[in-house]
Amino acid sequence: MAEKNEITKKPLPEITPVNQPFWDGAKGGKLMMQKCQNCGTWVFCPRPVCGDCASDKLEWVQVSGKGKIFSFTVIREVVGQALRGFAPDIPYVTAWVDLDDGPRFCSNIVGCPIDKVHIDMPVEVVFEDTGDGITLPKFKPS
Amino acid sequence: MSIRGKTAVAGIGETPTDRLGGKPGEPRKSTAEYLAWAARLAMEDAGLTKKDFDGQGLAAIYTTNHSQPFWPEEVAAILGITPGVSLAGGNGGASSVSLLGHAAAAITAGLCDLVLVIAAAAPFSERGGHRGTPADTRDYEMPFGVMGPNCKISFVMSRYMHESGMTEDHFGKIAVTGRYHASLNPNAYLRKPITIEDYKKSRLISDPIRLFDCVMPANGGKAYIMASAERAKSLRKPPVYLLGWGECNNASYGPRYRANPLITGITQAGKRAFDMSGVTHKDIHCLNLYDDYIPVVMIQIEDLGFCGRNDKAFFEKTDFTFKGDLPIQTSGGMINCGQPSTTGGMLHVIETVRQIRGEGGDRQVPNIKFGISTGVGAVNYGKNFGCTAAAIFGSEA
Repeated sequence: MAEKNEITKKPLPEITPVNQPFWDGAKGGKLMMQKCQNCGTWVFCPRPVCGDCASDKLEWVQVSGKGKIFSFTVIREVVGQALRGFAPDIPYVTAWVDLDDGPRFCSNIVGCPIDKVHIDMPVEVVFEDTGDGITLPKFKPS
Repeated sequence: MSIRGKTAVAGIGETPTDRLGGKPGEPRKSTAEYLAWAARLAMEDAGLTKKDFDGQGLAAIYTTNHSQPFWPEEVAAILGITPGVSLAGGNGGASSVSLLGHAAAAITAGLCDLVLVIAAAAPFSERGGHRGTPADTRDYEMPFGVMGPNCKISFVMSRYMHESGMTEDHFGKIAVTGRYHASLNPNAYLRKPITIEDYKKSRLISDPIRLFDCVMPANGGKAYIMASAERAKSLRKPPVYLLGWGECNNASYGPRYRANPLITGITQAGKRAFDMSGVTHKDIHCLNLYDDYIPVVMIQIEDLGFCGRNDKAFFEKTDFTFKGDLPIQTSGGMINCGQPSTTGGMLHVIETVRQIRGEGGDRQVPNIKFGISTGVGAVNYGKNFGCTAAAIFGSEA
């Protein structure tokens, strides 16, 4: 039985020295992103150096958490053993959210009927505690 | 020093694909068996034997379900070859097109004059094996229930429809064309012709992606043999020369943190291949494009410059069948022939070689001189493919 629970658990991120400020921020209700202090570009996913200018002067800054849906999909089938924990949630929406003051972020759209989700929809961040020590930034209509 | 025309594909081998082994009692074949089978077919095709490859090149492609860090050496051990040059394909679905250039470079530099490029996978009949996950996927996609490429390419397709106004009719036309070609290809797996209505009725997997948009996982093995132009002339089959080649990895169009996902690295890889070959678009009679999903085929046609961006009218008016204006996916593509993991993309190299040799059977493109094959792999976070490669082939050096 314990084994069965293990299989149906949802996968969690691996906290690394590079991405830790992101996950610490989420736990505290802040959406944190890396910004290059040398060239000013956003860097996401978290990196040790800037993908544009290679500077290691990357600073973690809090962004507003407001954005627009750039694209989205409705997940209707589980693919792969590792993701079986999502089966009870189907159908659900995953989306690319382009943050007003930040990079593109891949997350879920919550608090909205599936057939009302559309491209360019304004959304804002909400923080969802998984109960496993990780808080996931998700998005709801704003 | 250019590799243009210095090498040729001299042998091709393709095992049938199947989906056996998933259910109790079904016959099972291992990856090793598909590797040995594909190698034998390619060597027979070229008129070579295993002994001819001692001291020569061997290029093995890492697969997603059965790879370990010493995979190329394990493949040499399975085949009983003692290579003098060991290459590896780590570019996912782009690997078999990438390796054309890598093998040609090794041959042109005089390191060897033959390279056996090989891959196989048996995801249905083999359990276990290690399947690594890129860190971005593990940390920032899987926790949100992103279901792999189906979901990520759905983001691309959804945006593509939004920007171009393309509908199910446009995607359906490409699906129907592919299946029509598969119906004429004895090596294809799905051979029953379909209509646009069938496409529209196929089930939604990850909106707007439907079942008939998706590649079909399968077991199988494929191989091709690259030879110096000189050596190729002495072998059994007419050489199919590599005239142009290009690769582009980790491309971003627009800022890296918010790239345009409707342009892929095939734009740069394709341009490099065209520039090297000196061949023009109107000389290309056959396009075999990596087809993990239907919209990916269409975006690559745009990337390669055969039409404009979001060129709805072009997709409406063009006849993409083997006798048409711009034949594409003449084998039926991986969508209909099956995708044994990263082995799948080699189909597109093998099919262009077949067409240029005139071995296309009932789907032979008439009067073909030049063809192009592409490969893409690894769907990066927030954009599209990390790995892309393109190759142009011709019947004369």
